[in-house]
Amino acid sequence: MSPLDPRLSRRQLFRAGAGGALGLYGLGALGGCTVERPIDKPESTAPIKPEIDGDILLYNWAQYMDPAIKQGFSDKYGVEVNEINFDNLEAMVTKLRAGGQYDIIWPSTEYAYRLHQEGLLHRFDRASLSNADGISSFYDGGWWDPENEYTVPYAYYTTGIAWRNDIVSGMTGSWNDLTNPDGAGKMFILDDFQEAIGEANLINGWDLNTADPNELDVSKQTLLDQKEFARGISTNSTQNLVNGTAVIHQAWNGDIVNVRNQVDNPEDFSYETCKEGVPVGSDLMCIPITARSPGTALKFMDWVIQPDNAAQNVMWNGYPQPVDGGKQAFASLVKDEPSIDVNLEALGDGGMEYRLDNPDDRALWNQVWTEVKAS
Amino acid sequence: MTGVPPTAVGTGRRFGRRSRTREDAFDRPRFLKLYSGLVYLYLFIPIAVVVLFSFNSVKSLQSFQGFSTQWYSDFLNDPTLRESLFVSLRIAVITMVIATIIGTALAIGLVRARTRWSPAANILMLIPLVTPEIVAGVSALLIFSQLGIQLSFWTIVIAHITFSISYVTVVVRGRLASMGDEVEQAAMDLGATRFQAVRLVLLPELWPAIVAAGLLTFALSFDDFVLSFFTTGEDAQPLPVRIWSAIRFGVSPTINAIGTLMMVVSLTAVVAAVLLPRFFGRKESGIKVLTGQEGG
Amino acid sequence: MSDRAFWSRFLLPGGLWLLLLFAVPICLVLALSFGYTDDLGRAVYSNTLANYTDAFDPLYIPVLLRSIGYALATAVLCLLLGYPIAYYIARYGGRRKHLLIALLVIPFFVNYLVRTYAWVALLADEGLLNSALKDVGLIDTGIQFVNTPYAVIGGLVYGYLVFMILPIYASLERMDGALIEAGKDLFGKPSRVFLHVTLPQTKQGILAGCVLVFLPAVGDFVSAQLLGGPDTYMVGNLIQDQFFAASNWPFGSALTVVMMLFLSIWMLGYLRSAAREARDPVAAGGV
Repeated sequence: MSPLDPRLSRRQLFRAGAGGALGLYGLGALGGCTVERPIDKPESTAPIKPEIDGDILLYNWAQYMDPAIKQGFSDKYGVEVNEINFDNLEAMVTKLRAGGQYDIIWPSTEYAYRLHQEGLLHRFDRASLSNADGISSFYDGGWWDPENEYTVPYAYYTTGIAWRNDIVSGMTGSWNDLTNPDGAGKMFILDDFQEAIGEANLINGWDLNTADPNELDVSKQTLLDQKEFARGISTNSTQNLVNGTAVIHQAWNGDIVNVRNQVDNPEDFSYETCKEGVPVGSDLMCIPITARSPGTALKFMDWVIQPDNAAQNVMWNGYPQPVDGGKQAFASLVKDEPSIDVNLEALGDGGMEYRLDNPDDRALWNQVWTEVKAS
Repeated sequence: MTGVPPTAVGTGRRFGRRSRTREDAFDRPRFLKLYSGLVYLYLFIPIAVVVLFSFNSVKSLQSFQGFSTQWYSDFLNDPTLRESLFVSLRIAVITMVIATIIGTALAIGLVRARTRWSPAANILMLIPLVTPEIVAGVSALLIFSQLGIQLSFWTIVIAHITFSISYVTVVVRGRLASMGDEVEQAAMDLGATRFQAVRLVLLPELWPAIVAAGLLTFALSFDDFVLSFFTTGEDAQPLPVRIWSAIRFGVSPTINAIGTLMMVVSLTAVVAAVLLPRFFGRKESGIKVLTGQEGG
Repeated sequence: MSDRAFWSRFLLPGGLWLLLLFAVPICLVLALSFGYTDDLGRAVYSNTLANYTDAFDPLYIPVLLRSIGYALATAVLCLLLGYPIAYYIARYGGRRKHLLIALLVIPFFVNYLVRTYAWVALLADEGLLNSALKDVGLIDTGIQFVNTPYAVIGGLVYGYLVFMILPIYASLERMDGALIEAGKDLFGKPSRVFLHVTLPQTKQGILAGCVLVFLPAVGDFVSAQLLGGPDTYMVGNLIQDQFFAASNWPFGSALTVVMMLFLSIWMLGYLRSAAREARDPVAAGGV
C-alpha cells in the first residue's frame, strides 16, 4: 500500500489494537500497582489545636451551609473560607485519596470510620473547642469515634417517607407504604445504595446492614417490585416533591422542611418514619491530613457549632444540628409536625445506622444496587 | 463544523438563485417555512423559559409571578458562584488560545504534508470528535491519577485542550483544503522563506477560520460539563460542575440566572467573531467559515 | 530542508499532544479494565478478565442496547428536524442566511445542564406545558412527560441537534447550483430533483451529522439522569455510577472499553468514508 494511501486497512488496525490489548493484559500480570499514588502522612500524630493558620477550603454537599456563616467567620478572623461541593460520598473519598487538599470534609459516620481506619484524618481534642459542651451526648464516644478525636457532628437526619396527603391516603407508617396504590407511577426511591437496599432489608425483617447474599437477593427482588411502582430513582427529593412529580418519595426529614418552605400549600405535605426501622444518618465534620490549614479548620468547626450560628444554619438548610441552639431551632421549625423531629437521646440504641465495615460487603451491596438500576 | 473536505467546487451560480422558468414548489416553500419556524420555536422555548424565569420574583420554576433581579444579585453576591464564573472564563480563554495554535498547526500539517504518518495523524485527530465525553473524562482522570498529578485548574485546562484540538483542526482544514498555495509560491519566488510565506501569507488568509475555530473552542469549553466533572480538583470548580452539584440536591432559580449569563457571555464572543473580521475589512465573516463555506 | 520535512513539522505539536494525552490515557483505561479493587476500595492493575465477564453479563446487554436505541432515535429525529431547516436556510435564506444560522446556534450557548433542566420545568406534571394544556381545557390532570424514555430522547435531540444541522448546512452550501438547474431540466418534479440530485450530493454532510450525533449520544448520561425514569438507565449512567458511586473503576473501565469497541465499528465506517472523500483530487489538495 502506498504511503500516501489514507486508508488504514482494517486488518492493520485490528492487529495493532489486538497487539496493544494483549500487551497491556500481559503487563498487568506484573502489576499490582494501585491507580492512585499513596498520600504522604505527617510525622507526628499530636492533636492539632484550634488556631488561625491560613485560609480554608470546605468540601461539602451542595447547599448545606449558610454562606452567612462562612462570611461571619471570614470577617471575624480575616481568612478566606472557600467551598466546593461533591454530590456523592464515594466521589469525595476518591478525590481525597487522589491527594485533594481539603481542610474540612463532611463524611457520614460510616465514612468517617473508614477514613480513620486508613489514617486519613487529623486528630484533635474535642474538648479544645469552646462550644464542645453543647454537643448532644449521642455523639459522645460513638462507635465511629470512641475518643471524640476525629469528628464533630454537623447534622443528622432520619430517612422516611414523604407524601402528599391530599392525594394519597391509607399510609400505615410502614416502609410498605412506598407501594401504596395511590402513588403508583409517581413514587421515588432515593438514589443511594444504602438507603434503597436498607429499606428493602427493613421491609423483609432483616438487619439493616445484612450482607447475607440470600437475604440481599430477597431485598433485591423487593426493590425490583418497587421499581414497577416507581417513577424514578433520585436524590432530588425536594424538587421532585415541589414539582408535583412525586406524590410519594423516600426522603430525609430535612427535605420535607425545605419543601414546605417552598410551596404554597405546605399543609399538603407529610412525613412519616416507619415502624420497621428508622435509619438515622449523621454528617460529621472531619479534617483530612492533607489539609493546608488544620488549625483554622478546627476553629471553624467551633464556629459552626456555636449556638447562634447553629440556629441560623438550621433555619437556612432545614436540617437538625445536634448542638445547643441547633436543636431548639429545629424544634421550632417543625413544631407542627413532630414526626419530622428526631430525638436522639431517646433513640439511643434503637436508632439504626448504616454500617458496612467489610469492603466485600460493600462490594456486594454495590453489585446488588447496580443490578437493580440496570434491570 | 464538518469532518469532510469540500466536494465539488462550484463553478458559478450558488444555491440560492431562483429559477426564472419553473415557478413550482421550489420557489414557494410554504410548508418548509412553517416547518422551519416550528424547529426554531422548539429550539427557543426552553431558552425563553430560562431567561424568563431568571427574572422571576419567586422561587418557583412553575409560575412566573413578577419581575425581579434577585437571582442575579444572589449570584453576584455569592463569592463561590462568582469565582466559578471566572474560573470557567479563564479555562475557556486559555483553552481557546492553546488549542487554536496546536489545532491550526495540525490542520496545516495534515493538508500540506505528505508523509506516511499522515493517515495515522488524521485518524488520531478524528477520534476525539466521536468519542463520548465520558470516555474522555474517565481516561483523563486515570492518567492524572496515574502520574500522581493532582487534579486542579490546570488538569481541567489540559483535558479541555485535548478535546478541542480536533474541532479546531477540522474547521481550519475545511478552509485550508480549498485554498491553493499560489500566493505563497509567488511570495517565495519573490524571495520569502517558506516560514515567512506561512507567517505573512498563509496565516492571514486563514485568519477567519482560525478565529471561528477559536470561538467555537471557547464556547465548547465554557459550556463543558462532563470533562470538567471528571478532572476538577480542589481549586474552584467551573460553573457547570457547580450547577450539577446544586441540581442534584435541589435547584434554585439562580441557575437560570447563571444560564442566561453564560449564554450572554458566549453570545458576545460569537458576535465578536462575526463582526471582527468585517471590522478588519475582510470580506468573509467568521460564520461562513465555521459552517464550512469557504469565502472568495 | 525538503518541503515534506517542513510541512511535517506542523504535525508534531498536535500529534504528540493527542498521542500522549488522548491515546495513552485511553490505553490506561484499557489496562485498568483488567484490574480489580482492593480492600480499601482502591483500583489495582492486574490481569483478570473478571470485569469483562461481568460486563457481558446478560443483565447489562439491555442497557447497552437501550443506549444504542436511544442514540439511533436521536440521530434519526435530528435528521428529520435538521435537514429541512438546513435546506430552508441554505436555499431560501438569502442575505439573512448567516443570521438564521447564528440564531440556530444560540440555544447551544446556554449550558447543557441548564437547558435540560428547563425542559424538566417545562414538562413537569405541574409544569408550564401541562398548565397550559389544562388552561385550554384539553386535559384534566397532567400528562406525564418527564421520567419517560421520550423525555430522555427529547433531551438528547435537543442537546445534539446543532451537530446535525451544521454539517448538512455546510454540504448544502457547497453544492453547485448548476446541478439543481440541470436536475430541474432532467427530472421535473421538485421531489425527484431532491431525491436524485440534492440528497446524494449532501450524503457526506448527512453522514458527518449522524456520526457527530449518534456516537456521543450513546455515552450521554445527563439526559437520562435529569429527564429519565427507572427504566431509562443508559450505559453512560452505568459507567458514571461505577466511577463515582460504586468506586469500581476497573469494572467501569471494562464497560467503557466495551462501549468504545462497539462505537469504533461505526467510527471506522465513517473514517473510511471520510478518507475516501479526502482522496478526491480536485478539492482536497492533501491527505
